[in-house]
Amino acid sequence: MMDIKERLGTIKYDVDKEYAHITVDEAICEKCPHHFCVMACPAQCYTLQNGKLMFNYEDCVECGTCSVACDQGSVTWHYPKAGKGVVYKFG
Amino acid sequence: MPDYDAIVVGAGNAGSAAAITMASKGLNVLLVDRADPPGAKNLSGGVLWGNDLSQILPKWQSEAPLERFIDNKKIGFLTEKSSITIDFKTKYFDENKVGHTVLRAKFDPWMAKKAKEAGALVIPGITVDSLAIKDRTVIGVQESGDTITANMVLLAEGVNPRLSIEAGLRKPLQDRELSVGVKEIIKLSPQKIEDRFNLSEGSGMASEYILGNLGELNIGAFFYTNKDSISLGIVSPMEELRKNGVTHTYDLIEMFKEHPSIAPLIEGGTVAEYGAHLIPEGGIESVPQLYGNGYMILGDAAGFAFSNGLVLQGMNYAILSGIMAGETAVRAKSMNDYSAKSLSEYEKKLNNTYVLKDLKTFKDIRKVTGNPKMYTVYPQLLEGILLETLWERGQPKKKVRDILSEAAGKMNMSKVKTLTDFYNIYRRM
Repeated sequence: MMDIKERLGTIKYDVDKEYAHITVDEAICEKCPHHFCVMACPAQCYTLQNGKLMFNYEDCVECGTCSVACDQGSVTWHYPKAGKGVVYKFG
Repeated sequence: MPDYDAIVVGAGNAGSAAAITMASKGLNVLLVDRADPPGAKNLSGGVLWGNDLSQILPKWQSEAPLERFIDNKKIGFLTEKSSITIDFKTKYFDENKVGHTVLRAKFDPWMAKKAKEAGALVIPGITVDSLAIKDRTVIGVQESGDTITANMVLLAEGVNPRLSIEAGLRKPLQDRELSVGVKEIIKLSPQKIEDRFNLSEGSGMASEYILGNLGELNIGAFFYTNKDSISLGIVSPMEELRKNGVTHTYDLIEMFKEHPSIAPLIEGGTVAEYGAHLIPEGGIESVPQLYGNGYMILGDAAGFAFSNGLVLQGMNYAILSGIMAGETAVRAKSMNDYSAKSLSEYEKKLNNTYVLKDLKTFKDIRKVTGNPKMYTVYPQLLEGILLETLWERGQPKKKVRDILSEAAGKMNMSKVKTLTDFYNIYRRM
């Protein structure tokens, strides 16, 4: 099985270093009973490390899955600004 | 006086089709897209049925960046060890050449360029922050603190329509109306593709599968040939993923790739791009109010996609809805009336096309596609029948009737339930 890290490496991004288009509320994530985001996110932006939810927006492909997957109200979701973010070569 | 006759948010198939329709009739149109170049954030499985494009771009078949025309369509079931497919190859496909594989990051910029040539102002790399609303009328869009005004705003913002949701024009997205599509582009030489899939130069193959090799999960998959690559991926309903809760979506696609009937087809290929996108699969129940004072909702943002387990289409619905919205806008301009009453023409037009007709005809399709047995029991049953009839094992042969009743017994299938399932397929599919 090809590692997801390697597959994410095939995607071109123009990362916005100044602005995180998605943010999570750590206090809510800490009490979350399922952490479904970890399974659902196709870009491995959500991971569990020693039971603590870690989030990075840099690998995000802006699909919106997490905005629906999270039913705890932790995810604040916006599109990136000014063409930043994922830039598909094929799509 | 407003800055524009119409602002189109989103340069996907729906938005560009609308912009072309309006600009070619002399309307003053602004088309914005959050990607630069426009389309660079768009992704779909990749089969475009382009019939409707002829209305606005008569030379699309020779001018558009198309990959291969579909002359072979397959539908099938995969079980752990088997693949059972219907392989449909017909001269009808060759003679019409309306079905093509496309890569959206190439195709969508071409459509946006056509909108520009028709006279629209196309600005990529703009993320609209919110809609400008006054007296219950959409009067424009807001971006970086500026308000850009228009008589009409056409919302073609895609499957995750933040502006429409935030303005209360449609309900927030729910599990039941969405699937997560995960896709990979796998590079293979044109020669290999043509040899492997029995194709000629320019012709292509499109397959859709029901995956019966993933236990209880109701997941579909697709496999399409491009010029020098394969587009393959899986379509996982959000409800299924939540119910399962133990497998990463990015691993499910690998399980499809590793299937014994799929792995040899991509052998020697390299992954050129990974990607993911949501798919609107809520059917007619998810279609929002399509118009109001100063606005219309188009394409994926309106939930215009169709899936019945055998086909998965969205781009054709997007294009036709874009044309219908564009024509409605042209009429509204001629009457200088941009009220909900004037724009209700859009829904009337859609009611006379396959866009809303299909969604209404197949309103109960989830009773078939959501039936777990379609992904578990029935593929295994088919496999069992084929093994008993087509595999010579030096044993006395059985009649199909006996094979069926034995298999049904093994799988604890009740006759009434099974007949109900077939009745549902017959009535709703």
